[in-house]
Amino acid sequence: MRLDIRYRTTFIYDDIVSESQNELRACPIADEYQELIRYRVTVSPATKVASYIDYWGTRVDTFGHRSPHVGLEVLAEATVETKPRPQPTGASRPEALADPQFLDTHAEFLERTPHCDWGQRVTDLAAEQVRLAGPDVVSRILALHRLVGTSVEYRKGITEVGEPVDEVLAHGYGVCQDFAHLAVSFCRSQAIPARYVSGYLFTRDETVLDDAELNDDEPVRVQTHAWFEAALPGWGWFALDPTNQQAVGQRHVKIGHGRDYDDVQPLRGVFSGAAGAMVTPDVEIRRLAMAETAPPALPGRLLQQHQQQQ
Amino acid sequence: MLARDAENLFWAGRYLERAEDTARLLDVTYHGLLEANVAEQRAAWLSALEAVGLSEAFAATDRQVTAANVSEFLVRDSENPGSIVSAVEAARENVRTVRESLSTECWEAINSFCLSMRSRNLEIEIEQQPHELYGFIRRQCQTVAGVASETLARDDGWRFLRLGWNLERAEWTCRLLRVRQVHLEAPGFHEWVGTLRSASALEAYRRTSRGSMDPADVIEFLLLSDSFPRSVFFAIRSAETSLRELCAGDEPSQPLRLVGRLRAELEFADPRELLSGDFEGELIGIERAIRGVCTAVGVQYFINIHDVDLHMLQLFPGAGVE
Amino acid sequence: MASDLFSEYDTEGFFDEVFEATGAPRPHYAGLLKRLSYFSAEELARRERRRDAAFRNQGITFTVYGEDEGIERTFPMDLMPRVITAAEWAHIEAGLEQRVTVLNQFLDDLYVGERAAIRDGVIPWWVVTSSDGFSREAFGIPMPRGARCLVAGIDLVRDGEGTYRVLEDNLRSPSGISYVVENRVAMTRLLPQMFTDTPVRPVDHYGRSLLGALNRVAPAAGGDDPTVVVLTPGVFNSAYFEHVFLAAHMGVELVEGRDLVVDDQVVYMRTTKGLKRVDVIYRRIDDAFLDPVVFRADSSLGVPGLMSAARVGSVTIVNAVGNGVADDKAVYAYVPELIRYYSGEEPILPNVETYLLWDPDQRAAVLDRLDQLVIKPVAEAGGYGITIGPAASEQDLEKCRRDILSDPRNWIAQEVVSLSRHPTLIGDHAEGRHVDLRPFVLTSDVVEVIPGGLTRVAMKKGSLVVNSSQGGGSKDTWVLARTRDELEADVVASSVNVESGSTEVSA
Repeated sequence: MRLDIRYRTTFIYDDIVSESQNELRACPIADEYQELIRYRVTVSPATKVASYIDYWGTRVDTFGHRSPHVGLEVLAEATVETKPRPQPTGASRPEALADPQFLDTHAEFLERTPHCDWGQRVTDLAAEQVRLAGPDVVSRILALHRLVGTSVEYRKGITEVGEPVDEVLAHGYGVCQDFAHLAVSFCRSQAIPARYVSGYLFTRDETVLDDAELNDDEPVRVQTHAWFEAALPGWGWFALDPTNQQAVGQRHVKIGHGRDYDDVQPLRGVFSGAAGAMVTPDVEIRRLAMAETAPPALPGRLLQQHQQQQ
Repeated sequence: MLARDAENLFWAGRYLERAEDTARLLDVTYHGLLEANVAEQRAAWLSALEAVGLSEAFAATDRQVTAANVSEFLVRDSENPGSIVSAVEAARENVRTVRESLSTECWEAINSFCLSMRSRNLEIEIEQQPHELYGFIRRQCQTVAGVASETLARDDGWRFLRLGWNLERAEWTCRLLRVRQVHLEAPGFHEWVGTLRSASALEAYRRTSRGSMDPADVIEFLLLSDSFPRSVFFAIRSAETSLRELCAGDEPSQPLRLVGRLRAELEFADPRELLSGDFEGELIGIERAIRGVCTAVGVQYFINIHDVDLHMLQLFPGAGVE
Repeated sequence: MASDLFSEYDTEGFFDEVFEATGAPRPHYAGLLKRLSYFSAEELARRERRRDAAFRNQGITFTVYGEDEGIERTFPMDLMPRVITAAEWAHIEAGLEQRVTVLNQFLDDLYVGERAAIRDGVIPWWVVTSSDGFSREAFGIPMPRGARCLVAGIDLVRDGEGTYRVLEDNLRSPSGISYVVENRVAMTRLLPQMFTDTPVRPVDHYGRSLLGALNRVAPAAGGDDPTVVVLTPGVFNSAYFEHVFLAAHMGVELVEGRDLVVDDQVVYMRTTKGLKRVDVIYRRIDDAFLDPVVFRADSSLGVPGLMSAARVGSVTIVNAVGNGVADDKAVYAYVPELIRYYSGEEPILPNVETYLLWDPDQRAAVLDRLDQLVIKPVAEAGGYGITIGPAASEQDLEKCRRDILSDPRNWIAQEVVSLSRHPTLIGDHAEGRHVDLRPFVLTSDVVEVIPGGLTRVAMKKGSLVVNSSQGGGSKDTWVLARTRDELEADVVASSVNVESGSTEVSA
């Protein structure tokens, strides 16, 4: 599926700002499931943009302004071709999770981090699902994924930004990043390495991915999205989107991954001189007609199978 | 030099001058009143508070105007930012952050001054040997000035230190004159002697005036003398020199323009004319002009180093502003 | 004739820096002991008072936290210096050069290299990634000449046999060099007679050496005369005196974060004449506070955009960001292996025997004999959080056990090193006190070790903790220049080598 993405953030400061310095992580990653065809960043008022690839492999665009300004607009434009993702094949035993080699390379995705700092309740709930899922690691990951869906209800404007996973679980509401952090925490609590993914989702409503309801001819206006990936010994990273309870497919455009949100925050920065700012993020995605794609493989076979087991 | 260092030196100069001036004023006020009655005492201490610009701050403490209370307030009250102890501590703190651009001797002089102030029993000294205490403070300030003068390179740091020193001195002398002029309705011989002493000007004045204690002569001396280093004119002219050197041949800066105008006004003032008109108004005008120079110095050299208040941007997916 | 100072002196079975086990003074202390014997205890006490007044008036102080809101204290310098022979020093110098060179190679390998040491299994990747000092933000930021720890302070101790061992590496912002220089100044003033007959190598060139090294890592844009600054968190920092010292001895500006600004990935300082470009920043601010865009967002000590400037190479940050991973105490355990790996040599200076507590077998063994070991948190500096088994109470040990079990990666255990002792003036006589040694190593295109370093003394009787923040004192540290005999011996040795070498070539 060929998608055209326009990520735009506008800052309107309360007063003249003498300085601002920012880091943008909005560029789709080029990997085996995504081809990046075009990417361009424009900042206005015009300023020099320096780019680099960070530790996690995400492209970062840095830019600063030191002349007085009252507003700032960042526009990142990307064209990306997403490819079908294979679903995990073969069974993976939990002993593989304890393999020293596997542990060594995945250690940083098992640790607690500021946004994935879970308590006993997370561990207990996850352990129960894992017990029910049996010895297959794929089944365990799917069970934990499903557990997020049954534990949290999607609701905007309820959760504070960056709310601890324990509290999200306690009150049962959240948005995509809460879903992703909780999924990551469930997995890590059961010794399954997991990472947070930041990206875009081509849909009008991030909780719905039913193709019948989607009209691909019209552009959608959304915000950035978040999901997670769990490490499957001997296979690789298994990507799932807990917000809509689907496997990640061609409508998902990945920007990058990290231990949690802080590692892939789309826009990070500081400004000085003014009391506050009004920030308007906006993402517009349209499907390009030229690209032919196979029907999405969602919901996946394993997913359905697993649900039947419940 | 670093803008922040320049500002610290400027303020170190101001604080040291303030400490010295306050000590001298207290000494003169205290010893001038030994034979006076209670009413006179009260008036004199009020005038001292006004001369240091702290009448309102003192009133806010709800203490009675007595020699002990005012001395206490002006010497060792650390709550009072205008007290000698506060000024010396502030000078040390300012200098501490620019130590690398000062001489070791100069830093040591200020540091040991501050440490000895901390170790003295000021409460007892104010009561039992005030003259020794004020003399000590004055000498220490003069030592610092001397050490600075003998060991510092004549660079921009030196210029900012002197600039603060001189602007503070000019403002203080000006305010002293105004307060003395107004407060003591018809100041007599002893009051003027006291005023001259407060500015360390008695001997110098005697040599130029040969015994006259005509108020006009005293005022002319303290305001306009071109040879006495504590006169307003002399201090303003020194400040002008520092600012001119700071411009180093470039176009005159705004503070230089302002101080130059003030210097010219004083240099060519007619003392008789000044005294016959609204003299208090003139003095207020000069004080205002000095403060204007200070502000201009801040804008020209120190701006942009304060309140670099940083604000974070936090954008969360899905939870962003809509 | 020995002075009264030592009439009661007892080495109590420890390795003593001055006296042999037999009680005879070591030869390199003979001159010093003789000179010292000319002073009465009263006279020495008088000079101690002069020392205290001088240090206080000069403000050679550090700030102690935790008591009230921070108190300025002097770092007491014992009047009896520590002496190291030329031969001993040559051994130490070679060991430090080897170690610091390898630590630099390891850091460059991690941050901009191919991670060869990981690939080849010398150290597990997870030990690196789980280290608090590992900075993902520094990933890919180059360092000219690979001098990521341009300034290193390596803590050495001598064990019961007198062997020098490395106790800790300090590769972030090692403090103490100002005391090395100021102690020497103070000694030459307080007891100038002591230097007679004893050829001591000078230390006051540190500022020049440091500036030279910093100039050599400047970006090309800095030209022949790059602008170097020292970045301090400010006057309230405990090591502020040292920051002033460094700036003054190099003749460069001492700046705070608010004095610097980044424009289009170039760093400038705010001066009274506008903005001036900065090429090299010797920073004494922790990584986490350097740049609020990248690190702690709430930090007002740093400079927004600094990391981005460093990344494009327009400014050099010294020491490089992320060095903490290499002075992590768990990584320390792997340093001997890293030395063998990168240099192909055996380590010249051995480590202290260290146990890694995530390893179940080592952990079990350690928990069995907790009261005989030293337990340290892996990421702390300054002696905070250490439990010394033999001196700890039952409660301390119990807490230590719980801490280890709850987060094994955060702790290491070490054998107690019976630190060497050095006579130290206590009242009117000398008593043995435990000492360590922190030499300072500068790396740019060459490695330079400043002769001596900071000898720290645990002033409390029997104490093994020498950190200044924990009530330690210091000693002037003398490295003896080579005597004429030694120099001649060297010349003979090298000429023999040259001859034999040329013979081989001609053959």
